[in-house]
Amino acid sequence: MLLGGVEPVVFNPRDEMAAVPDVISEDSSEDFRSFAASRWPGLVRLAFGLTGDRWLAEDIAQTALARAYVAWRRVSRADDPDAYVRRILVNASNRRFRRRRVTEQPGELPDLPVDGPADLIGERAALLTALHQLPPRQRAVIVLRYWQDLTDAQIAAALGCSPGTVRSQLSRALAKLRVDPALGEGDDR
Amino acid sequence: MTATHERELRRALNDTLQSVHPSPPPVETIVRRGKSIRMRRGVVLSAVGLAGVIAATSLGLGGGQHAAAPPAAATITAGPNGVFASGTANGHPWQLAVQNIADPGYSCLPAITLNGIDADPVYPAPGTAAVVGLGQPGHQVGYAFVQLPADVNAIVVNGDTNVPAVSASVCGWHYRVAGFAYSLAEPLRVTVANPPADWPPAFSMPVVSIQPPSKTTTAENPGLWINANTARVESASGTAAWGDLPNKEQWAIKVQFGTGGDCYEFDAISSSGSTQMGYCGPVSTPDGPATIMALPLGFANGNGATGYALPESPATDHITATLSNGSTEQATSCLVDGRAYAAFIVPDPLTLTKLTWFDANGQAIASTTALPRYGYVQFQP
Repeated sequence: MLLGGVEPVVFNPRDEMAAVPDVISEDSSEDFRSFAASRWPGLVRLAFGLTGDRWLAEDIAQTALARAYVAWRRVSRADDPDAYVRRILVNASNRRFRRRRVTEQPGELPDLPVDGPADLIGERAALLTALHQLPPRQRAVIVLRYWQDLTDAQIAAALGCSPGTVRSQLSRALAKLRVDPALGEGDDR
Repeated sequence: MTATHERELRRALNDTLQSVHPSPPPVETIVRRGKSIRMRRGVVLSAVGLAGVIAATSLGLGGGQHAAAPPAAATITAGPNGVFASGTANGHPWQLAVQNIADPGYSCLPAITLNGIDADPVYPAPGTAAVVGLGQPGHQVGYAFVQLPADVNAIVVNGDTNVPAVSASVCGWHYRVAGFAYSLAEPLRVTVANPPADWPPAFSMPVVSIQPPSKTTTAENPGLWINANTARVESASGTAAWGDLPNKEQWAIKVQFGTGGDCYEFDAISSSGSTQMGYCGPVSTPDGPATIMALPLGFANGNGATGYALPESPATDHITATLSNGSTEQATSCLVDGRAYAAFIVPDPLTLTKLTWFDANGQAIASTTALPRYGYVQFQP
């Protein structure tokens, strides 16, 4: 209930995203809506790749875009707004994994997409199972590299680490996938 | 892994992720969440007409005369643990405090607590202008607080009792609050002296009534917070549990935490449509009673289930449900804004017969058979 009828100007000095008071104008708000609508499918798919869970993916995509809204004035002026949102999403995804205490059961196959022929469905299930076995950072490196086609530097920016770390994480992830029985073909993959 | 294999991985990944068909972009929901985050993060920089004037009584009294202006008071700072008001009412000690109610180790979550047990999330921005807590009915005592703007030094209760604003800090935010106890047997009128010019002369709160506790409600709960603010502010939300039924129908239990309390949404989804049920319960502190919420889920094929959700205390590692056929089911957990919740469903015709709380060592630390089929009960694990 806004009793005074005056919108507060808010900021949080502890939050890097809110270092500048965010007052979103009508035009900016429309810009954000357009941005959010156009990026939504890709963000959900990226989150799905990171989590393997459709429900969680949509929730994380919402979280990332909501946080982008908070900092929209700055995000919209960034050279690459997508990189900004991608980093928020990856962070949100990692936080989810750290926070979930009981439900996190590595090896359990989560919610799967079901479109397509049976062999494709089986392949997707195997791939998601294999990805789910990887630590979150290695999983993120795989998805960002092979689905988003990002460079080492772009992945490093999304994960908040160095390009060297990206390369080492990628190498370890590929090594694990190579021998993952869920992918079925062992060394052939 | 060879280049060929990397190409295969790229193709498989692309195929898998493109096969996901997201729901339509929930742009307005995203914007609302964004605004909620802004509000939650907010530190009020401008002098904002903020807090409430309440008239609350079971008789529904309203009206709008102002009390005499109280003398200007020096800033009073809250005591240890954020206590900003305390006393003894009808022989029962009470205290109100501004405290962090997030689970240990998680992001700070400020709230007003009554005796360290019941709580209401509080924000430095408008949205929690006034909240009334009702004491145990037998005590005939209620407790209330009002969050005040910087230029209001006190509230006046029932025209003659000045209650000064007290400054309290938690989670790096600062609040000015005034708290007091009052008799439930008499009308309650709270006014603010010299309100800002653009304030209405008075605010009426919906009639407050409290149902006597049912036989299954434990006595540990000393009261129930009733948020006077009808415009609910959502602080955070998350999916507590989800899954598929054998017939491929899906279900999900979502949690929304905010001034409405602990609000749950129970969703059932099938190819022929979806159904939703939602309900809010009181907010518990980490050491307070767990509010066990139950709502029916109806599926498109006519089958049903009952969804259950409840907050988890920090001492709890997991919760197990025992069903009427003797089987057990472990509730899944999620963390929403620093608060842990557990949830699960019980498909018809089975019923829930027992809940058991376990610690990290696998030891049962509490159990109850007093379980709702609809609505909620509170239990101190």
